[in-house]
Amino acid sequence: MKSNIFIFSIFLGLFLSVSTSCKKKTTEPTLEPTPLAVEKGIVTIDLSHKWGFTNQTDFVLGTDLIHPMTNDTLNFTTFKYYVSNFKFKKADGTWYTQPESYFLVDLSTPSSLVLTIPDVPVGDYTDVYYTMGVDSTRNVSGAQTGALAASNLMFWNWNSGYVFLKAEGTSVNSSTGTFQFHLGGFSGANNLLTEKYINFSNNSLTVSANHTSTAFLQVNPGWLWHSAPSVSVLNMIHMPGTDAATMALGFYTNNSIILDHIVE
Amino acid sequence: MKVFSLFFCLVLLASFLACKKDELVIKPYVEEETWGFKIPSTFPQPDYKFENNEQTRLRFELGRLLFYDPILSLNNTISCASCHAQEHGFADHNVAMSTGINGVQTTRNAPSLSNLAWYPNFMWDGGVNHLEVQPLVPLTNPLEMGESILGILSKLNASSFYKNKFKEAYDVDVITDQKLLQAIAQYTSMLISANTKYDQYIAGKVDFTTSEKNGLTLFRNNCVACHTEPLFTDFSYRNIGLDTISEDLGRELITQNPTDRRKFKVPSLRNVAITYPYMHDGRYFTLSILLDRHINGALDTESTDPFLLSVSPLSPTEKLEIIEFLKTLTDFYLIGDPQFSQP
Repeated sequence: MKSNIFIFSIFLGLFLSVSTSCKKKTTEPTLEPTPLAVEKGIVTIDLSHKWGFTNQTDFVLGTDLIHPMTNDTLNFTTFKYYVSNFKFKKADGTWYTQPESYFLVDLSTPSSLVLTIPDVPVGDYTDVYYTMGVDSTRNVSGAQTGALAASNLMFWNWNSGYVFLKAEGTSVNSSTGTFQFHLGGFSGANNLLTEKYINFSNNSLTVSANHTSTAFLQVNPGWLWHSAPSVSVLNMIHMPGTDAATMALGFYTNNSIILDHIVE
Repeated sequence: MKVFSLFFCLVLLASFLACKKDELVIKPYVEEETWGFKIPSTFPQPDYKFENNEQTRLRFELGRLLFYDPILSLNNTISCASCHAQEHGFADHNVAMSTGINGVQTTRNAPSLSNLAWYPNFMWDGGVNHLEVQPLVPLTNPLEMGESILGILSKLNASSFYKNKFKEAYDVDVITDQKLLQAIAQYTSMLISANTKYDQYIAGKVDFTTSEKNGLTLFRNNCVACHTEPLFTDFSYRNIGLDTISEDLGRELITQNPTDRRKFKVPSLRNVAITYPYMHDGRYFTLSILLDRHINGALDTESTDPFLLSVSPLSPTEKLEIIEFLKTLTDFYLIGDPQFSQP
């Protein structure tokens, strides 16, 4: 009897092992195959938006703001833009690249103004690189989710591609009383993708285990009109092209995003 | 002995339990008839690869439900199938311009749908770059279904029926636009046309009549530069010299390049005999008129494709033979397949 039970338990063992042996092989590929546990911390990027070059004021939706170069009075109802692909650089030249880092900054949603980058390996970082806009791959890869979902209404349905930046509002200087700038473009002459970086110079950003380090940045949307004309001349952009490039690159390529301070 | 038979049964049962789930996973083409996306032997590799959207029967059936459900339009009156009817080769019901919500008229002819998984881009002007995001255009165009993405998601999420279906198919508690679009792609990618009389002739299974054979020869001498076999399009954009006055600038609207003026995507000719009227605006109702104007009468506009201007005119007999050949491109299997019909 005992031996029967013994044999039976062997068969039961066999049964279990075979029945689990050819399960679906759809385990998610691990992005970072790290054999050794690396200690990690969190980095947050805290964005505050300012207006004006001297005598700066806070950039607030629904208030009249006078542009220092065009002298237009602009009252923004919408200001949204994509920031993506965060990369962290150490003094020794090594990099940490954050996978799936896509953020839609939306001035009407305060929580979107703090970008959280989890799982950054501990260490001292000299620079943080990031991209203004959404990389070309994600513009051509079908239905996306999260910050890139079409339901965020930052996707051109009829001419596939992301609106990288949306600025809308009213202005007495515009012939229609309004302005609507939908800026984007990821390929060829219309490619607006711009990599920017924050340099911490001597004062590197230290990431410690299970701790949050924060970089406080100031963003100045006024740079959109660095080369673009007054809204009395141009009050609407709805597709990639020269106008979109002039306006977006004014904001993307200049000193529009600056480091204020860091808290570690 | 008893013990051994018990052992045998257990192992058999175990392997059955273990492998049952794999049946729904997309597999490379095999000869036996199993359900799923298969690449026809004469076709190239498809553009759509089910990335992040593994094919399952549940997802396909969900996509099919959505394709036929007017809930996706603003006033719940129009579905995808309203203008893409199976019995018409997934084109509209032989009208030049389709009718959107509240009776508004669209500005272009609803194209026939087949072999979409092989398309690098979509729409007459090629503005859409991926199968999954194509439905965003008709869903949100005020002249078509006129709904907003947020409106659709709110209706679907208020429906316990759809919440259950999406839960079964995608294991999600909240329906997102990504899952909605992926489900529709599960259905549209399966609309494969590869079993027409032409395909059977190429496979050596049936013979052509003399007219059909002559038509194929003429077709290969005159048409395949753009209507390339086996998909019967090369997916390029061309101005075929229809006119110089129509307002629809076609591809130029997307590229803003004046050399793309009034260029439209070369349409596939599969199911061409049953999907009249023709051209982006449905201006020609018969294949005979189409050939007269398209081959024999292209206007020399600034961006007319030079090839069309160099093609020698067809005689009346040649025209009839080409038409006989084009009729062999009707896919009675696709337009009659119950798995694609209204659920």
